[in-house]
Amino acid sequence: MTAAAIRLTSRVGVVMTLAAFLGVVAFFWPFLVAPGKFGSNYAPPLIFGVLLVLVLCVVLSEIAEGGIDSKALAMLGVLSAVNAALRPLGAGTAGIETVFFVLVLAGRVYGAGFGFTLGCTSLFASALITGGVGPWMPYQMFGCAFVGMLAGFLPRATGRREVLMLAVYGSVSGYLFGFLLNLSFWPFSLDPNSSIAYLPGLPFTEQWQRYLAFDLATSLGWDTGRAVTNFVCILLAGPAVLTTFRRAARKARFRASVRFAGPRTADSEPR
Amino acid sequence: MTAVDRTTVQASATGPDPSPDVGGRRLPRALHPMAWWVWALALATAVSRTDNPLLLFLVLAVLGYVVTARRTEAPWARGFKYYLYLALTVVVIRVVFRAVFATGITSRDHFLFSLPHIPTPDWYAGIKIGGPVSLEALLSAATDGLRLACMLCCIGAANTLANPKRALRVLPGALYELGVAVTVAISVAPQLVQSVQRVVRARKLRAGKAQGMQALRGIVVPVLEDALERSLRLAAAMDSRGYGRAGRATRRSRHITGALMLLGMCGLCAGAYGLLDATAPAFLGLPAMGLGALLCVAGLHLGGRRVTRTAYRPDPWRLPEWAVAGVGVLSAVLLLANLGYDPAQLNPTFYPLTWPALPLVPTAAILLAGTAGFLAPPPSPAQRADAP
Repeated sequence: MTAAAIRLTSRVGVVMTLAAFLGVVAFFWPFLVAPGKFGSNYAPPLIFGVLLVLVLCVVLSEIAEGGIDSKALAMLGVLSAVNAALRPLGAGTAGIETVFFVLVLAGRVYGAGFGFTLGCTSLFASALITGGVGPWMPYQMFGCAFVGMLAGFLPRATGRREVLMLAVYGSVSGYLFGFLLNLSFWPFSLDPNSSIAYLPGLPFTEQWQRYLAFDLATSLGWDTGRAVTNFVCILLAGPAVLTTFRRAARKARFRASVRFAGPRTADSEPR
Repeated sequence: MTAVDRTTVQASATGPDPSPDVGGRRLPRALHPMAWWVWALALATAVSRTDNPLLLFLVLAVLGYVVTARRTEAPWARGFKYYLYLALTVVVIRVVFRAVFATGITSRDHFLFSLPHIPTPDWYAGIKIGGPVSLEALLSAATDGLRLACMLCCIGAANTLANPKRALRVLPGALYELGVAVTVAISVAPQLVQSVQRVVRARKLRAGKAQGMQALRGIVVPVLEDALERSLRLAAAMDSRGYGRAGRATRRSRHITGALMLLGMCGLCAGAYGLLDATAPAFLGLPAMGLGALLCVAGLHLGGRRVTRTAYRPDPWRLPEWAVAGVGVLSAVLLLANLGYDPAQLNPTFYPLTWPALPLVPTAAILLAGTAGFLAPPPSPAQRADAP
């Protein structure tokens, strides 16, 4: 295994854990909130959206504080461009989602920190290119960042088992991503009088039933499309792409250790 | 959000076109992107106040006017129509779901039609499918959906009008690396399209017959190799131009930055907990969250010392910027202040069912926001798609 492209210090680990907690709150608040705490259905998504922006800024700043060398940064930029170029290919046609393919494989090869950052930069760049900047972006970025990061934390495996593991992970994360993103706009996207809309103050089971019905009615087909695309793409093109990424990682030698040799020691290698 | 993504990057391959608004005596220049964002977000805030369909259609008209008058020919400036499609989808979904997942009808409603009722099992009793549908229900779903659609279109207008590459410059110094990566991504993406075209052409010349997934692999791998090669060359170029030189951060300021960030995140967590739990003491809610946010912002500010940046040709913030942002904020203030009109006219009731009135002050406020269309200077003609 080559070294991870971006080093994660323990401080970043703590910040990421806190960020994960905040992310859970920001996505799942409709089920967690005590009745009567929020007045309008529009306010909490905005509050949590701003919160997620801030959290992402803090995490990314902390990751960068540990040092991103120029090779990792250039690779980040180029792979984000690949993702941003891949994204419009799929979106809009039967839920085919092509972003996760590169994200999962790159997260696997270049490590969790790289996966996290790549998830953010891909979606950010794609939104800037296609003019899709909006309040939904922090939620998407957060989701993708964690998909990329967790791909870096998958257990050790080689050969076919690794590809199969990544493919399964890709499809599961496709479902989970759709589920979470739906949750982020469910509270305000439906008329409150509809029987599958978010109704503040309902007990957990009923709220959950309403959400599942909403998820089933709106996007289960899309999510299935996304999961199948991920699975098939990773299974078929995964081995070749993994090899390509690993070759590039060997060539780049991320975070190569630097040794300064004194000028007078005769036996040291001249650089 | 999917309809938004459909503007492809291939759009950038086309050449320069004359700007729709040439002429006039003012010097054409691009408005500061933040001015457009402030204007659009303020208008979205104003929209969130009202349910009146007449006002909402007026907002759409104003947005359409400003966008057509002041957008450039850049690829991101062609996305507004997709936002309009998305807005239509939002309204349709809302109406359809209101009709299908109905909640019954009262004696005061006008009965419209009835859908077949599908019984749900007892353990899934919360959901009702089918049943009678009233005119009031559909109208309220449509107007409420129209409000959301208008807010979406405000954001779409900002995306269309503001230059995203310029907007990247307002990223704080602590996110410098992120900004660099995104800038690289934006400038490399059009080259990737060319790279794909090159690989596809080469495959055709070699009479590659593979279809479907086999073809995918044959294209993906060479393109990726090309991209990764490019990234290594780029890294070497960045190194030779002094990327990664140290800023003004000392060891002590780094420690303070870390402490601020950690404390801030703890504050945010406590605030989130306090916001959701009814039994939590009051100071744990918004105050804790605000304090955490302040600490985080301070940390980000201090962390910005890590890099030193200079701006090449910084965007000016002059009178037109003040004017555009000002009329946006003013219209939001007018709609939020409830002065000079009956607040009930903003949210007309459906009982009894009447034609909504058009209150004077909100109408004037929205038209005032529309003056941004000529307060902003005309966009520079024939701006190249890949210009910075």
